[in-house]
Amino acid sequence: MSDQPLLAARGAGRRFGETVALEAVELELLPGEGLALVGPNGAGKSTLISLLAGALQPSEGRVERRKGVRVGWAPQRPAQYGRLSARENLELFAKLEGEADPEEAAARLLESFDLPGAPKPSANLSVGNRQRLNLAIAFLGAPEVLLLDEPTAALDPEQRRRLWERVDALREAGGAVVFASQHLGEIERHAGRVVALRDGRLVFAGTVDEYDRPEADTLSA
Amino acid sequence: MTRTWLIVRKDALVLRRSPFLFGILLAYPVAIALLVGLVAGYSNSKPRVALVDEDNLPATVVIGGKRFHVDHTIKEVSRNVKLVRLSADDAQRQLRTGQVVAVVTVPPGFISTLEGMVRSPKLEVQLSHGTISSRVDQQVQALVYSLNRQLQRAYIDTNLKYVTLILSGGKGTFLGEPIDVIGLERSQKVLQAMPQTRRVRVLEDFIHDARLALANTGDALRATAHPIQIAHTGNRGRTSALSAQVQATAIALTITFLALMLAAGSLASERDENVIGRLARGLVSLGHLVWAKIVLAAALALMLGVAIAVAFGLIIEIGGVEGGEPWQRLPLLVIGLVLAGGALGALGALLGALAKEARSASLVALLVVLPIVFLGLIPAEVVPPAGWASTVLPFTHAVSFFRSALFDLSPWGELARQALWLLALGGIFGVLARLGARRLLA
Repeated sequence: MSDQPLLAARGAGRRFGETVALEAVELELLPGEGLALVGPNGAGKSTLISLLAGALQPSEGRVERRKGVRVGWAPQRPAQYGRLSARENLELFAKLEGEADPEEAAARLLESFDLPGAPKPSANLSVGNRQRLNLAIAFLGAPEVLLLDEPTAALDPEQRRRLWERVDALREAGGAVVFASQHLGEIERHAGRVVALRDGRLVFAGTVDEYDRPEADTLSA
Repeated sequence: MTRTWLIVRKDALVLRRSPFLFGILLAYPVAIALLVGLVAGYSNSKPRVALVDEDNLPATVVIGGKRFHVDHTIKEVSRNVKLVRLSADDAQRQLRTGQVVAVVTVPPGFISTLEGMVRSPKLEVQLSHGTISSRVDQQVQALVYSLNRQLQRAYIDTNLKYVTLILSGGKGTFLGEPIDVIGLERSQKVLQAMPQTRRVRVLEDFIHDARLALANTGDALRATAHPIQIAHTGNRGRTSALSAQVQATAIALTITFLALMLAAGSLASERDENVIGRLARGLVSLGHLVWAKIVLAAALALMLGVAIAVAFGLIIEIGGVEGGEPWQRLPLLVIGLVLAGGALGALGALLGALAKEARSASLVALLVVLPIVFLGLIPAEVVPPAGWASTVLPFTHAVSFFRSALFDLSPWGELARQALWLLALGGIFGVLARLGARRLLA
């Protein structure tokens, strides 16, 4: 397993007009690592994940990705076409991700995430099912790195368990995960390191053990 | 290209899943086309013109021995305008408020001057201001022209009576006074009875020549009154409703609405669905995304344009309309539809990028498309600024391309010119849309 980071933010920051959404952040994600992003609403967690995913371009600094590394991204708000069914969404994104057999990949993820295969517009799915579809799309293309923004917010306990099983399996295979979460139990179980953000600034970066519980409560408040 | 094609297919599938939206998008431009047709028809209808009678026109008037029924004559000559009798004050008020577009006043003494047949009486005409005043002026002139034609016959008949009197002699009246004229024929007979001196023979020659010349006076007078006459040889050609211009405009109008609104709405909806970030992180670049919307607009424009052209052609074929439908020109139309649909799609994508949200984009597209269409429908010769503005928009070039492609005998020059315009506009709007698409990620 190489020590070269799979993904790194090198002074990456983002402004929207005059508003600073995220000040310059230095961050490295190593193979096998689980990194939790914590902080109150509006702290800049989603902006940082979007920058790492390449969905947003940094206003300053840059994001580096090790050559050949594939990244899966599940934004906080489900990103899928509401008029397409779950299967059609998966097949479309499988093709865009370059899956060799898009239909097979879609069928596998439908089953794996327990999604309805009926030709029903995904906009009509329950909130939980839409989030499952959102997560399933992130697993297309055999990613080595997963970027998950509040992934379990709308999932029932069984689906949460199954999701973390997949994430842990990916880490054990040399992949890595960055996830934003408000659940300290998840952070303790699935993250080795914690990055805390507040008002667009990085205020803490360290191991879970270093992460002070009272401080975490304050940050997440 | 494969990724662009995947997005185009996805958009087509989404559109197919929205039959109500698609139906509205189809029906709306057709409804607008009908309304434009009605407005055009209204603009060609008879303008309301006030007739102020300050001479107390009698029911009948005799001019040159010919009796005219005034109301009947007015009805005969006012085919292009709707004449309404009003008092002078009422006419002025209605002219100010736009209820009438012109006031024609018959001044005091008009009929007596007319009956005198020596001087030309004058009608006073006041026109409203505005763009249609020149057309109203033409129609009032046409009214006076028709009136003059009716009177000319009476004038010519009267003048010919004097000529006959000069030729044959006899009793008559002039300016109300009785006259007795010897006439050329009787003068010639008197001269023939006289001794045939040289001076008498000179007078006889003159009278002979004068009789010959005056014998042709009738034709000469009629020719003077009408140096050029119009001979109607029967109606030929299409009705205006099936004209080349209407066909080209109907196709352009329909695809303008559809291409603009669909491209704007579908690009902005990528952000509404929160998918834009997923695509832009390497799956589909913003440039490819804009290109996909342009391709979608061009494909829909092609399908609908061909469908309209075929429907139009079938109506013409079934109705046996003059000229028939130029089916062999459809391939040229196809090229124009793709170019115009692409240029309109690029403009729509730009609007979608600027509006950012699908609802706003559709509303903006609707607000933009109406002025584009109306600017293109205003003749540039009538309102030059409208012509300049429409030059930098695809609609006018689409109309010109379609009309030339379908009906010009030698269309190549015009087609090349309009194709270059559409390509250039599509390129400019496409680049701007690509630049603007970055806003969708914010």
